[in-house]
Amino acid sequence: MTSPSPAALDALPLGTAAASTTPAPRETEYDGTVTVVSRQTAADGVTSLVLARHDGVPLPRWQPGAHIDVVLPTGTVRQYSLCGPTAVTDCWRIAVLREPDGRGGSRWVHDNVREGSELRIRGPRNNFPLRQARRYLFVAGGIGITPLLPMIAEADAAGADWSLLYGGRSRTSMAFLSELEGYGERVTVRPQDEYGLLDLAGHLGEPAPSTLVYCCGPAGLIDAVEAHCATWPAGSLNVERFAAAPGQHSGDGEGDEPFEVELRSTGVTLTVQPGQSVLRAVEAAGAQVMSSCEEGICGSCETAVLAGEIDHRDSLLTDDERAAGDTMLICVSRARGGRLVLDL
Amino acid sequence: MLSSHVRNGWYLGAWSDEIGRTLTRRWITDIPVCFYRLPDATVTAVEDRCPHRKYPLSLGHLDDDGTLQCDYHGYRFDAGGVCVGVAEQADLPKATLRRFPLVEKDGAIWIWPGDPELADASLLPDTSWLTDPDWTHVHGVVPLKARHLLLVENLLDLTHETFLHPTSIGNAAVAATPIDVTVDGDRVAFSRRMTGIEAPPFYEKSCGLTSPVDRWQDGEFYPPGIFILHIRVAATGTEEPEGFHMKVLYGMTPGLGNETHDFYALARDYLIDDEELTEFQHKQQLAVMQEDVDALEAQELMYATDPGGTVESSIRSDLAALRGRRALAKMLAHEQRGNVSA
Repeated sequence: MTSPSPAALDALPLGTAAASTTPAPRETEYDGTVTVVSRQTAADGVTSLVLARHDGVPLPRWQPGAHIDVVLPTGTVRQYSLCGPTAVTDCWRIAVLREPDGRGGSRWVHDNVREGSELRIRGPRNNFPLRQARRYLFVAGGIGITPLLPMIAEADAAGADWSLLYGGRSRTSMAFLSELEGYGERVTVRPQDEYGLLDLAGHLGEPAPSTLVYCCGPAGLIDAVEAHCATWPAGSLNVERFAAAPGQHSGDGEGDEPFEVELRSTGVTLTVQPGQSVLRAVEAAGAQVMSSCEEGICGSCETAVLAGEIDHRDSLLTDDERAAGDTMLICVSRARGGRLVLDL
Repeated sequence: MLSSHVRNGWYLGAWSDEIGRTLTRRWITDIPVCFYRLPDATVTAVEDRCPHRKYPLSLGHLDDDGTLQCDYHGYRFDAGGVCVGVAEQADLPKATLRRFPLVEKDGAIWIWPGDPELADASLLPDTSWLTDPDWTHVHGVVPLKARHLLLVENLLDLTHETFLHPTSIGNAAVAATPIDVTVDGDRVAFSRRMTGIEAPPFYEKSCGLTSPVDRWQDGEFYPPGIFILHIRVAATGTEEPEGFHMKVLYGMTPGLGNETHDFYALARDYLIDDEELTEFQHKQQLAVMQEDVDALEAQELMYATDPGGTVESSIRSDLAALRGRRALAKMLAHEQRGNVSA
């Protein structure tokens, strides 16, 4: 297997997984600046950065699936998965895909970050931990390979049975292919311009005991994998969405349509724009609504819906409550049709 | 009295070994309850107010034949709670005690303080491990001067172990590991799988494990008042069903006002004859609970004095607790709308 080029990473193969052989140290977070010690092109539009503290102090330990926050000078925060070997603590590697149609975070990194640049970071944090299993099926789409790389290293080191299905637009746009070559037939690389859509059915097969599925990539891929895994035992599928996930954030409005909201008490109708939450729109119209987390968690802003179909994006309501369609968390959820009537 | 407590549900009323041929009073969901056993050892719970002038029956006495006598004016009640005589007159006054549906099983007495018509024993969770010969356990009850919901939320968000119990059962891995939350009807369950983590001191000592370990927490909340935590701790990489299994039952029973009975049972399926270990675990359990009690009582004061309308901040790890809170609110609203609570 080809190791990543920066010297610090050369010392240890990616397969050296800390968790399975040595005691896991207390997980702490670092919040401060790091120096970019290496910037490399990992694929078309993908740059990989190796980060280290300028005072040489080791960075905290992390487990596969962990990410860090990169705090841009604008104050905007972007999350990037750590994708180097977990055993290396004097530097971290992340990979950033330039997203021309994104909100500007990745463009800023691509245009401004050079070797020697300083970046403010926080982390690590892990919302996508690798659980113990005998067998793993990994599915990566594009830059979604990043959190899976250290997972694969750990699974391989632990002697687990695993395989990876890795898709992307074209071979040249897919990062870390050379590092994956060393795993031989366990890795199936399927660029879309050569093979078309990923053969998820062939890769995932039927539900199998002691098998966990880990998937990261664009929303469409994750949705498709979720559909394929619908009949698998609860908890088999683990996903990380690297775009703002439906159901988790109000997001930036990409892909959302404007819709109308009627407030029952006043009869006022207002338009909710893409990128604007119902909460913000009704507040702007002068309505008093309780709210707190603005992430669809706490339920403070729960509002009765008198008419219209809801696009639920919260984390709190149960499936039954969602299906009833008579209440919504207006900080994140939207309309599925063009109009909602709220009991406000 | 309109109670803020859900009454249509099973609560742990007492441990079997607490109740005998003497009268035991315990407030449950703002209702005074008098527990006692009849001569055939069956357990009985009646409202602890004499229908005559409301004197507490628990201040009276129990005859050998199971007759309960109020020691204020001498009303006497048979095993069915029907008045069978008074001292002052030959005629029988019309008086019957309210008796509560009870289920005694696995060493616990479960009480249904609400509408007796709705009491359904099949709603009780499996507690057979409390009497399973392959398991051993310790149990008791701790008084808590804090509202029931604070205890429910404490148990549904074990992230607090990292901060409130850092020297025993908590470490950074608990807070750092997200939970999966599932809802099945009213029941709220969460699951947290920590793999390859540092062994918390309690498990290091009570299982003889060294780091790294895998630790699983599967919690189940049966609203309004029952919580069961299924724990597995094992050397990292050990597959089910090996490893150390423990279960913790909490009977979270609202008392009078913002006081709660914090019933606990801590069980394990290994070294079940090791009394030293039992004693260590019991001490540790009580120490951990004291940390919770101190925190919840401090929290109670802050809730009790908080001006209305201030919003709490919530984060992702609150999900199970928030769902538990919603389940309780829904039950209470349903109960008070239907006017079925006593």
